[in-house]
Amino acid sequence: MADTESPRTVAPPDEVPLENPPSIARQLGLGFWVSVAFLAVVILLAVLAPVLPLNEPTKIAVGDKFEGPRPGLWFGADGNGRDVFSLTIWGSRISLLVGLIAITIGFVVGGSLGIVSGYFRGMFDKVVSFIFVTLLSFPALILAILITTLLGNTVFWISASLGLLAVAPVGRLARAQTLVFAERDFIAAARILGASDGRIIVKELLPNVVIPMSALALLGMGIAIVAEGTLAFLGISVDDGLSWGKQIAAAGTTRVLREAPHVALFPISVLFLTVLCLNYAGDRIREVFDAKELSL
Amino acid sequence: MSARVIASRLAQMVLVVVAVTMLAFGSMNFLGDPLCNIIGPICSEDSGEEFAEVRAEARAQYHLDDSLPVRYGRWLGDMATGDFGRSFENGTKVSTTLSNKLPITITLMVYAQILAVLVSIPWAVWSASRAYRAVDKASTVVSFGMLGIPVFALSVLLFWLFAVKWDIFPTRYEDATFGAQLKSLFLPALSLAVPLIATYQRLLRTDLISTLQEDFIAVARAKGLSNRRVLFRHALRPSMFSMLTVFGIQTGALIGGSLIVERYFSIPGIGAEVVEAIIRDDFPTVLAVVVVVTVIFVVVNFIVDLLYGFLDPRVQLDG
Repeated sequence: MADTESPRTVAPPDEVPLENPPSIARQLGLGFWVSVAFLAVVILLAVLAPVLPLNEPTKIAVGDKFEGPRPGLWFGADGNGRDVFSLTIWGSRISLLVGLIAITIGFVVGGSLGIVSGYFRGMFDKVVSFIFVTLLSFPALILAILITTLLGNTVFWISASLGLLAVAPVGRLARAQTLVFAERDFIAAARILGASDGRIIVKELLPNVVIPMSALALLGMGIAIVAEGTLAFLGISVDDGLSWGKQIAAAGTTRVLREAPHVALFPISVLFLTVLCLNYAGDRIREVFDAKELSL
Repeated sequence: MSARVIASRLAQMVLVVVAVTMLAFGSMNFLGDPLCNIIGPICSEDSGEEFAEVRAEARAQYHLDDSLPVRYGRWLGDMATGDFGRSFENGTKVSTTLSNKLPITITLMVYAQILAVLVSIPWAVWSASRAYRAVDKASTVVSFGMLGIPVFALSVLLFWLFAVKWDIFPTRYEDATFGAQLKSLFLPALSLAVPLIATYQRLLRTDLISTLQEDFIAVARAKGLSNRRVLFRHALRPSMFSMLTVFGIQTGALIGGSLIVERYFSIPGIGAEVVEAIIRDDFPTVLAVVVVVTVIFVVVNFIVDLLYGFLDPRVQLDG
């Protein structure tokens, strides 16, 4: 991960251990909760878009051509007079959905491969690790474009190809976490008590691996949303339907930027804030739970 | 690094590159149909007898009746001798396309890395020597924000500000002279560099802060060396491990980023070329780019491994 701290991080001098450590909600801090609130609003608007009193996103001449923002037309209008605010909200639906499905696929596949290979070690582990290295060496964006073009640019295949990209990083973290815990006494105790491998993995390992992984899930969701936007920006995304990447690509031409930069700036700002909040929330969880293994 | 370790690293590199080629070759042949990519919709058996000859000819020319492993072996062998095949689209040699376009992309990537290093090192030194003060905290917020902005959105933003609004940089790619090329590549390179700057600054700052607490820094200060000399001559080199590690990994991000900025800024490099090639199902071109790009990535990371020993001779790598 690009933004992880070095293992040699030194605590700031003012962080003296307290006798009564504050609750986890307090430790996460105000910024974390502001981020979560912003994300909640974005998700709510996306889910409720069909029932909200919005202009039809595809309806033309709602405003004047390239009209600036005004009450009722908060983000202004684009070259066809369509409502940019409504386009941004409807566009968030595909971006968020793809992000969610992709990260779910990445976690289910990568997580289980990582845990199982870290737990059993041996030949299986070697093969899985080699697959991870190969996936990490394959130019990621080219792989995503390739799969999407070959299998069809539907929401499912776009999510699946982005999920495939998440498998290796997620799997490596899950494996590293498993290696840390597999040596611990409580695993040995469970084994002595006669627990099966399956039971140890599900009941003992999984709960310990999940928290550091949840930080990665938020960061990964941000990455997946950006990746979907990138595909759409390159002209390879869901055929029908709106997405932030498509919207920004359409507004990013010299002509539109010269006449009405707001058509591009509003969706860019919303996308940027969404990714920023995901990154920040993930970062806070990682710091609070001190999951330094993320850097492995 | 002992010769044995280098040999085992090299062997692993070759294995990874071979695995990548198998993945790329396999996915194109399993998920797509090469015959249709070569001759278009008449590839189907029921598109009429009159095309049967065209089909047979194309099959023979591209050896499509051979089994997949045989074709893969032939392709790999050709590749090893520098023959990347011909484009399905217009029959031009893929090696010609590569030699025309690769230098532009490499210039762009090196440009971005130079910008990133030039900005991030002084910034990290500056903020580490003011660690945990208000200015340092503010600069941490700035670099965190820089990490969150997608390359494609940043490209649009920079293009709008510096090419459209203020007209400082050209809106079209020009490479009549090297100076003109550097000028047209500045905005794309900066779009690629911004997330790198933030990544390097964060890692280097953290490592510098912990280095600055070590005894040899106290000794250097006690000798009366200037603050600048302590920071740049004594503290910087042993603090560069994390930054160097991601330097290699970020090459991968740069490759992906070059697809975006080359397409958006209409730069005729291999990034834009590969997107086009995938869209028009030109598999020889796609395969060649995948191989070249993967080799670059793997080699850069190998060099990074070698550099560890240079930064700190105590470092021993295991195979």
